[in-house]
Amino acid sequence: MNLHLEIITPEKIIFESEADEIIVPTLNGQIGILPNHIGLLTKIIPGELIIRKGSAQTLLAITGGFLEVNNNNVSILADYAVKAEDVEIARAQEAQKRAEKLMQEKTTEKDFKVAQAELIKSILELRVAGKIKKRSSQS
Amino acid sequence: MANISLIKRRIQTAQNVSKTTRAMQMIATSKLKRAQDSAVASKPYVEKLTFLTRNITDRIDPENISDYMKQVDINVRLLVVVSPDKGLCGGLITNLLKELLRYDNSFNNVKYIVIGKKAEKTVAKLGKEIVGSFDFGTTLPIFENVYPIVKLINDQFLGKNVSGVDVLYTNFFSVFSQKPNLSSLLPIKLPDDQTSGKDVKDTLDKIKRNSPYTLFEPSPDELLPSLLSHYLEMAMFQYLLESYASEQGARMISMKNATENAYEIIDYLKLEYNKKRQEKITNEILDIGGGAMALAYE
Repeated sequence: MNLHLEIITPEKIIFESEADEIIVPTLNGQIGILPNHIGLLTKIIPGELIIRKGSAQTLLAITGGFLEVNNNNVSILADYAVKAEDVEIARAQEAQKRAEKLMQEKTTEKDFKVAQAELIKSILELRVAGKIKKRSSQS
Repeated sequence: MANISLIKRRIQTAQNVSKTTRAMQMIATSKLKRAQDSAVASKPYVEKLTFLTRNITDRIDPENISDYMKQVDINVRLLVVVSPDKGLCGGLITNLLKELLRYDNSFNNVKYIVIGKKAEKTVAKLGKEIVGSFDFGTTLPIFENVYPIVKLINDQFLGKNVSGVDVLYTNFFSVFSQKPNLSSLLPIKLPDDQTSGKDVKDTLDKIKRNSPYTLFEPSPDELLPSLLSHYLEMAMFQYLLESYASEQGARMISMKNATENAYEIIDYLKLEYNKKRQEKITNEILDIGGGAMALAYE
């Protein structure tokens, strides 16, 4: 029996398909979910999300949210998630620079936090985008 | 003579007005389309979030419930009013403010958070305490706007300054119908079985049967607050979106009516203008004819 995975963000449903294995970064560390996993509800932290199906692998950047496993149905409620191949590298690089600059200027605590979140997001995007680039150039 | 040029000027004015209202109508139409799209797109997320939150609240001890869900015994309420910044959207604002005054009359002690300039003016006249005031903006609300609003609400409610938080916004039924709606935000009452229908309850029961053991990492007590605060943000965002869609829908219809009225006036004035012009020509011909006759008799 396969896992059925749904990744939902406030904007749209990003991913909906069957999967063999899902690897998620959570508050208690990275966990892998295989079919027939026990019911689980946990919090996702910013990181990389890996979905395996057969030999194919999908890589996503995720900035946090909630994960629910229920009878082989996995739902991920993400604040923001993007597939590695959909990352716009130039834009992410620019966002990273902008966020770094904002953090250096001594701004208010709120602005700092916003910039920090933006920085984490762009770094993650670049990291996953870099990974699939490497893989496709090897094959 | 003077009469004709006056009519001509009025035609010009009506045409200018019709151009402006038509442009506003088209802008509202395209904005409405986007607002509707994004409201539809966020629906699965909201449903899932509500579902998760219910799932978790069903499983924790009633004693352990989060502060968000506790009743507080204070005779002060907080009302969040969501109104447009700009007018020219038919009866929307009037209806909203009527509802606001009714609320204000039925509770003695009300604090306010106002979003949108139109509500701000009215609340300021009431002389009640305004905890916070935000602009609504004229573009699609973005999620970041919600954080400062929710933070204020949190401070007031968790700081036990108010016993409950209500939101007054305009509910979007269709392009033709938007009604002000009062909705209770805090303490959180999740949509129960009456409102969310039997399906949700059935699925919840099924889940409990199928997987009686659910792991919570970290524990439900730690998870719940972050889920609930997220739920709060999402709910607030929905209210903003709903109000925005209503504003644009109302503006679209009222501007459409205004354009049609302007066209009607133009038609009428043109008819009048042509009549006057014809009359003038006829008179001139009569004059010339009369003159020629007089000459011929001599």
